[in-house]
Parts: sequence; C-alpha cells; structure tokens
Amino acid sequence: MIALSGIKKSFGKNEVLSGIDLKVNRGEVVAILGPSGSGKTTLLRCINYLEKPDSGVISIGDFKLNCRQHGKKDVHALRQKSAMVFQQYNLFRHKTALENVMEGLVVVRKVSKAEARERSIALLEKVGLGAKLNAYPSELSGGQQQRVGIARALALNPEVILFDEPTSALDPELVGEVLSVIRQIAEEGITMIIVTHEMGFAQEVANHVVFMDGGVIVEEGEPKQLFRYPKEERTQQFLKRITPEAGYSI
Amino acid sequence: MKLDVSFIWTAFVELLDAIPVTLAITAVSVLCGFLIGTAVALARQFRVPVLSQAGAAYVTFIRGTPMITHLLLIYFGMPMLLDAAAEALGFGFRSASIPMIVFAFLSFSITAGAYASEVVRSGLLAVDRGQLEAAYSIGMTGPQALLRIVLPQAFAASLPNISNMLIGMLHGSSLAFTVSVVEINAKAQIVATTNWKFFEAYLAAALIYWGLTIGIERLSALAEKRFKAYSRGGVS
Repeated sequence: MIALSGIKKSFGKNEVLSGIDLKVNRGEVVAILGPSGSGKTTLLRCINYLEKPDSGVISIGDFKLNCRQHGKKDVHALRQKSAMVFQQYNLFRHKTALENVMEGLVVVRKVSKAEARERSIALLEKVGLGAKLNAYPSELSGGQQQRVGIARALALNPEVILFDEPTSALDPELVGEVLSVIRQIAEEGITMIIVTHEMGFAQEVANHVVFMDGGVIVEEGEPKQLFRYPKEERTQQFLKRITPEAGYSI
Repeated sequence: MKLDVSFIWTAFVELLDAIPVTLAITAVSVLCGFLIGTAVALARQFRVPVLSQAGAAYVTFIRGTPMITHLLLIYFGMPMLLDAAAEALGFGFRSASIPMIVFAFLSFSITAGAYASEVVRSGLLAVDRGQLEAAYSIGMTGPQALLRIVLPQAFAASLPNISNMLIGMLHGSSLAFTVSVVEINAKAQIVATTNWKFFEAYLAAALIYWGLTIGIERLSALAEKRFKAYSRGGVS
C-alpha cells in the first residue's frame, strides 16, 4: 500500500502542492486528472523523489520516508520501490531496447546478465517488441519507445509504476498501442498511478480517480461516480470543458 | 640557394625517430588532460562548493596564458619547489635527475586539462536531463547514473571536439623543443643546423605532422561511427 500524507512542494514562491494526502491500495489503478499547473505531475515526481517535497511523509509498502529528515540512502531505497514511465519516454539513447530493459536489473538489482537478458526479452515480447530487441531508441517510433519504457519499468517489479502522461507526446494513431499495453498490465494487478488526459481511458481502466486543482485534491472517488456525478463545482467545470457536448461543428 | 629535394627525404627518414616522443607527449597530455578536465567539468556542472570555484579559476588562468608560458613556469618553478621540499624533508633527491620530458608531460597535461574541461562540459550539456532522471527512476545511484548513462553520451557528443583537441596538442607538443626534448620539431632543427638546410628539414617535419594529423582524423571518424551508432546525429 502507498500512503502520502501532507506532501507540500513550492518552486520559489509558487506553491505547487499544498498538502496532499492520498492512499493507494495494492493492485489499484489510480488516475490523476486535472488542468495543467494543478500539480499532478509534480506529485507523481515526488513519489519517485525526482522532485524533493518540502515536507510530508511518503510510505510505500513497509518503507517510510519523512521528507524533512532523511539521508541519501533513504532516497535510494524509496526509488527502488517505484518505477516511472515518462512523458518523453527518456529511454537511454545509447542503449538498445533490450539493454534499456536489462540495465536496471543488472546494475541495480544485481541480477546475472543471462537471467536479466531472458527476463527482458520476455517483457519486450509482452509489449509486442520481440522483433526490435536490438533497435536503438532513435530507430523506434514514439509508441514503440514508450512500450520499451513500460517494459523497463516492469522489469524492476516495483511496488508501483508511475505513469507521467504516457501518451501526451504521441501521435494520435500511436496512442492506442500504448494504452492497450497499460490496460493489459493493469489487468495483471500491478499497482499504478497514472497522470493522464485520456478521460475515456481513465474511466475504463482506473479503479480510483483523483481530481486535482491548484495544488490540492479537489475530489476523488470511483470513476463512474466521479465522471457522472461530480460533487465539486470545479470538477464539474473541468469535466464539462474537456468532454464537450456533441452538437457543434468545426 | 637551391632546393635540395633529395635532402627532404633524408631529413624525413631521420625525423621518423622522433615520432614516438611527439606521440607520447600528445597522448599523455590529452589523457591526463581529460581526467583533470572531467573532474573540473563535473565539479562546475554540479556546483560542488570550493571545487567549482577552484576549477573556474584554473580554467580562466590556463586558458588566459600561452601554453609555452605554462611549460616555462613548470620548467623553472618545479625544480625550485622540489629541491626546497627535498631539502626541508632531508631526502637526497635532486631535481636535475628528472628527465626533461616529464616537464613537458606535466605542463601540457595542465594546459590540456583546462581546454578539456570545456570539451567535457559541452558534452554534458548535450545530454538531456531526462536521461539522468530515467537513471534515478530505475534506482541507480548518482555515480552509477553518471558513469553508465551520462558520461558515455557526453563522450560521444564531444568526439569532434576531442579530435580537435588531439590535433591541437599534437602540434602544441612541438613547444617541448624549448626545454630540450627532442621531438619532431627539435629533431628537425638539429638536422637543419648540422646540414645547413633549414627549409628542407622543416618541410619534412611539416609532412610528418600532416600525416599524423590525417591519422587522427581517420581514427576519430572511426570512433564517431562506433560510439555514435545510436544516434541519427544532428540536424540531418
């Protein structure tokens, strides 16, 4: 289980997160929605400590980290609990698809090369890239790169996988292939937190939806309830704007 | 005066002996320079207190003074320093026992270090921040991320600059003749004065330098092909 409590983060005078509390159960898929600037990506990056929160407590599984007092080793230990899938893929450019997936296993988890290779090939086959093992990121399409990114995260077998707008940088026709991979691993019961703008996808795949605005969680709940009967006015406005009624033409 | 074409060949053959000295000075200074330069560039890039300021001062002083000045400062300053230290500590060491080429190694490494630090820095700047974040996200430590992800890409990005520097130091190594190291240029001078045929001897030296430079260009093209295989490269 993942629990965040009282997470605060400011960039200079600009407070991006003003005290976030969030609980995620094992096997749950949580979608975080919200307008840009609402702090949702920052929150995700805090869980992986790519941003250092000013205060708050992050606990993943049995590991707990107080953001006000910790050493480098604690950060390192926290990062081992999660894996991140980035908006811009961020595959290691000088490594092939296979090497990208193997890297964490060999270097961080100290798995033998042969075993890492075997597991990585299996994962790449699972995301449909069995034929691209030796391709460099520059030789892959955006959708293929993102699927390698997902395989790289899966390889570490983390407690939670964090998705930071995984399809925002993709051509519309490539979005589907990435979403279907995420859907597939969601069904396997892997805990995931997804920041996304794909409302239909969030509604379909998530067990729990969180709506953020202005650095706070405005509303959260089951997807059906939140999408159909949002309680808060701010949520209603947001949902209305991004899912416009049919009936106008361009 | 007439050009003695056959003497160009004679000089050329004699100069071949001096090639290893020139190459040794070039290789040692560029290699040590890169170690120094990488340390300085990392200290400056990650704003390590004290080290980054010291690094900046080192770079501005060394780049602000000619290479031959570094050589002369080391050549005259080091023995004084060493002899004084040896005397104070009671060692029987005399600086006169240091081979001349060591002064060239030392001073040119210091020179190369300042320039290399900028080469490495430009390479580091070419690596996307996302690469470091991805490395952290899979649980790598800072040193692991640096050694396995950032520096290899920075190295590949700076290959053209590295070959530039190698060529610069190859030609710069000719300054070692001022402290009586017999490299290609010094050898050319010896051959020239003993036979009273200056133009021919220096022409032979020029041909050798050019040949070595072409070799470096070829090697760097190969290295680019090897280390940049992953990249479609630049704007093309």
